[in-house]
Amino acid sequence: MSVQALKKIKITEALNTNIWDVDSRPHITVDYEKCRKLCDKKICTLLCPAGCYTLSDDGILFSYEGCLECGTCRIVCPHEAVKWDYPLSGRGVQYRFG
Amino acid sequence: MLNIVGKFDVVVVGAGPAGSSAAYTLSKNGFKVVVIERGRTAGSKNLYGGRVYSKPLEEIYPEFKREAPIERWVKRERFSMMVGGELLTLEYYSRNSTSFTAYLSRLAGWMAQKAEEAGAIIVTDVRVDDLYTEDGIVKGIVSGGDVLKADVVVDAEGVNRLILERHGLVPKLLPRQVALGVKETIRLDKQKIEDRFGLLPEEGLAWFIIGNVTGGLPGGAFLYTNTTTVSLGMVVFLEEACKKVQKHVFDILEDLRTSQPFSDILKDGVLVEYGAHLTPEAGLDMAPKKLYTDGLLVVGDAAGFLLNLGYTVRGVDFAAYSGYLAAKTIIKAHSEGNFKAENLSVYQKLLEESFIIRELRRHRKIAKLLRSSELFTTYPEIFVDVARKLFNIEYTSPTLLQSIRESIKGKTSLLSLIVKMLSLVRAL
Repeated sequence: MSVQALKKIKITEALNTNIWDVDSRPHITVDYEKCRKLCDKKICTLLCPAGCYTLSDDGILFSYEGCLECGTCRIVCPHEAVKWDYPLSGRGVQYRFG
Repeated sequence: MLNIVGKFDVVVVGAGPAGSSAAYTLSKNGFKVVVIERGRTAGSKNLYGGRVYSKPLEEIYPEFKREAPIERWVKRERFSMMVGGELLTLEYYSRNSTSFTAYLSRLAGWMAQKAEEAGAIIVTDVRVDDLYTEDGIVKGIVSGGDVLKADVVVDAEGVNRLILERHGLVPKLLPRQVALGVKETIRLDKQKIEDRFGLLPEEGLAWFIIGNVTGGLPGGAFLYTNTTTVSLGMVVFLEEACKKVQKHVFDILEDLRTSQPFSDILKDGVLVEYGAHLTPEAGLDMAPKKLYTDGLLVVGDAAGFLLNLGYTVRGVDFAAYSGYLAAKTIIKAHSEGNFKAENLSVYQKLLEESFIIRELRRHRKIAKLLRSSELFTTYPEIFVDVARKLFNIEYTSPTLLQSIRESIKGKTSLLSLIVKMLSLVRAL
């Protein structure tokens, strides 16, 4: 899929231009309890370039499907709430123009 | 599952520029090498800004210039300070060029292919989980419970050094050691690229932009021209971003793409890919204490080998060349009979004699200067303001000094501006 680059687009539209082979097994897991109890800034919601982290009622909602495998969340999370690894079996994003 | 039989001389973790260059050099010299790559193909997990310096690669791969998937040779270098829609630009044009644009996915694919042609085995779709050790000596790798043994391991796992961390060879990566790069690849007619950027066929542009292009975060934006695409992206220092970020990083990049002059330059463009990657920024300050231990050598991003000069970045050539030097080390250690640390210490020596460590040492100071937020916001504002006063003449035209004095009012003193500029010039 491709997107005419005229006006601002949503992150999901940008992610949809990529080739994916998403695994059914998540390669990242988030300890939502920590997000809810310990974290007030929740910078992952702004710094994850794929927008995998969104705010929910009283915490974080995480979806691994659009992950670009950059590792930012693992490093910026101040509460070690992110259990991070790369996807298995060549799954995940498939860069053509990287 | 690792369905590999036999014993190998060398296991390389990761088929990026560093890993494949090590594998290629070793295979050419008769070593039995296997490269384990987590991606579906070599290069499918690689992402960078867009430009590679050629010379070190030509030394490693004699047929490089003829065969490699080069997009355009960079003949136009542009550096801009941008505030609002106003740009103050320094441009260098030369018919000679030492760097080219390329898709790293394809370039890494090419390097892996060269390694394969030289005799290396490239195993894809396999994630390495750990090092395998016997009596504290690295003797192979572990993947999903399977062990693959070898006499020596080359760790080219990239900037997220999960394996080195698990093994206690480096502490956990910190935000201050890396920057986050995001990039949009935009397809644009070849003729339009050449017309809009003033390029002849096969000529390329590398463009760095600082100012209010990164949502107030220390960092910068970049634009590279490929044959039929343009790469537009930005890099932000992660530690500062953690403190100051107020808008989603993708939206900051979208603000840039859809603002003047980029919206016009990229008109009719079609987004074909969006990606992100971390980039090492601390150079020698993030290298493992030892770049070698018994049975192990660390190369490329995993070793922190990347140089950010503020107006350009060198990563791929550093990575590939460190892989090449690791290969030379292994060849030498083999002739001495074993791969214990004392024999692998040649690697440190070769690195120090090469451009890699010399360059990283020389530019150590820049890393600190590049983080000052003045450099990214206040100074571009001042300089663009001065340019506006000088060039947008209505009736009277001010002198340069008058313009500067007026523009720095309330922002900084003339003296501190001069001192800062001098320290920058000295560091560069």
